[in-house]
Amino acid sequence: MYQNVLEWLENTSEDKFDKVIYKDVDNSITFKEVMDKSKAIGSGILEYEYTDKPIVVLSDRKVNTPVIFFGIIYSGHCYAPLDGTQPEFRLASIAQSIKPDYIIADEKFYDMAAKIAPDAKLLKAEELMESAICEEKLQKVRSVASITDPLYIIYTSGSTGVPKGVITSHESLMCYIDAYVEVMGIDDSDVLGNQSPLDYIAAIRDIYIPIKCKASMFIIPKQYFSLPAKLFDALNEEKITSVGWSVSALTIPATMGAFDYTTPKYLKKICFSGSVMPGKVLAVWQKHVSDALYVNQYGPTEATASCTYYKVDHQVEDDEKLPIGRPYRNYRVFLLDEEDKPVPVGSKGQICVGGPILALGYYNAPELTAKSFIQNPSNNSYRELIYKTGDLGSYDEDGILHFHGRMDRQIKYMGHRVELGEIEVAALRVDNMHECCVIFNSEKDQIMLFYTGECTSKEIAVELRKTLPGFMVPRKVIGLDNMPRLSNGKIDMQALKNYKSNK
Amino acid sequence: MRDELIEILEEIRPDVDFENEENLITDGILDSIDVVSLVGEIDEAFDVQIHVEDLTPDNFNSVDAIIALIEKIQDED
Repeated sequence: MYQNVLEWLENTSEDKFDKVIYKDVDNSITFKEVMDKSKAIGSGILEYEYTDKPIVVLSDRKVNTPVIFFGIIYSGHCYAPLDGTQPEFRLASIAQSIKPDYIIADEKFYDMAAKIAPDAKLLKAEELMESAICEEKLQKVRSVASITDPLYIIYTSGSTGVPKGVITSHESLMCYIDAYVEVMGIDDSDVLGNQSPLDYIAAIRDIYIPIKCKASMFIIPKQYFSLPAKLFDALNEEKITSVGWSVSALTIPATMGAFDYTTPKYLKKICFSGSVMPGKVLAVWQKHVSDALYVNQYGPTEATASCTYYKVDHQVEDDEKLPIGRPYRNYRVFLLDEEDKPVPVGSKGQICVGGPILALGYYNAPELTAKSFIQNPSNNSYRELIYKTGDLGSYDEDGILHFHGRMDRQIKYMGHRVELGEIEVAALRVDNMHECCVIFNSEKDQIMLFYTGECTSKEIAVELRKTLPGFMVPRKVIGLDNMPRLSNGKIDMQALKNYKSNK
Repeated sequence: MRDELIEILEEIRPDVDFENEENLITDGILDSIDVVSLVGEIDEAFDVQIHVEDLTPDNFNSVDAIIALIEKIQDED
């Protein structure tokens, strides 16, 4: 039984040493290089005084980024990845919640690292990679490691305006990757196509599957996802066989007619997640890439990215709503009603999840952790933690889970989890903003901000870009003289949803 | 056409100085959310159909490039 993800890397046989594991548009790196460089980074970190805090990584989408993660694991620490292309304000607020002793950045982000974590020591990734490997020290670290040690902290949108740091253990990560690889049938012949930023939960597959399965992974440039013809060319040039993408990444090529241009010839395994897949989009993909396996995945970061999967076993109809399927191996997924009682087959309840894939909690947030990860209310006999997802579901008679939306104001947009409240908190920081309300127009697939105040929509957009990632900035900003209200004084969100521009 | 296009662009991204940007796509200023919104709005406003082959960085890097693309498509019709 494995107890540390690095054992996956270390059991790489010699005949795979020269195989390319990660590739981006500028560089590629082999298994052997990853093994050597990550040990060098780990040894380099161990030259410094030990800290029990996570080490922050400031980087972006390139082949060396996973190597830095592995180096930190070698040094016996857990890593908190941050994409340096995010707004400084957001990076700084996350760094503040971690209060790291060390931050590792590559050359592009030295300055940003100093700005967002002025009290942390900056370790330069390029210099760490040149450190001499000290097997003895690395061995000593490993000898006291446990499978339940924290592996990484990934930040996700929080409704109060502060992102939440979800802590995941080696055990949880390995459980999920094992289960995913089994469902998708991935092996060393596969080439994965990475879509997600590497600090985001969806990227854990693209980072860890290659070391487990001896597969390769190509980091597809972000712009290609706006330019579907370029995207399909890249899939064919790199002979990409397997992708785990957000629904939006599959929607854009289908709706923009990319299949009239060409077809991804090598793609055989397609997993999508992040939001509900429109039947008409999947139908287009199935028509043009007919012999691929399509899997609908559902699950939150708090359960290591996932809960359930559904293998699509038929040609879908345009208006079909896919189920979210069955729990992955080692996952316990069940429904509770408002009184925390189990829900009978066919009825709706809140989707709850438990098992070794459960996160260790939120970093530096004991109260939020205690509130979110709770004792299973139907178990009075021993300690059993579960996470309540805030999603509604129902089981059918075949044991297949169906999804029925959120219980609160969290949405999924372009594959990302977005708390509409977090956008409002950010918008209220804009000067001369009186009041605002953010709604999601699901018909147009658009986040809309309504506000009252003397500020202009331009000022709001400029300010929001300083504090929020691009996908959270509303592309429709509408000034009103008065907010529509319900008789109890609350903002009438339904009226805003029905708002029609009189232009 | 230019004014109408800039109005469309500024509605989607009021924070960008479209008159002076020459690398809207190459520099990642416009992301996929922006491009998808933009293509829909252009198709509607100028009664054209932008095809997937037209979605290249060169065609979308600047206001002038987008105008050239729209005019090219209009001429072909």
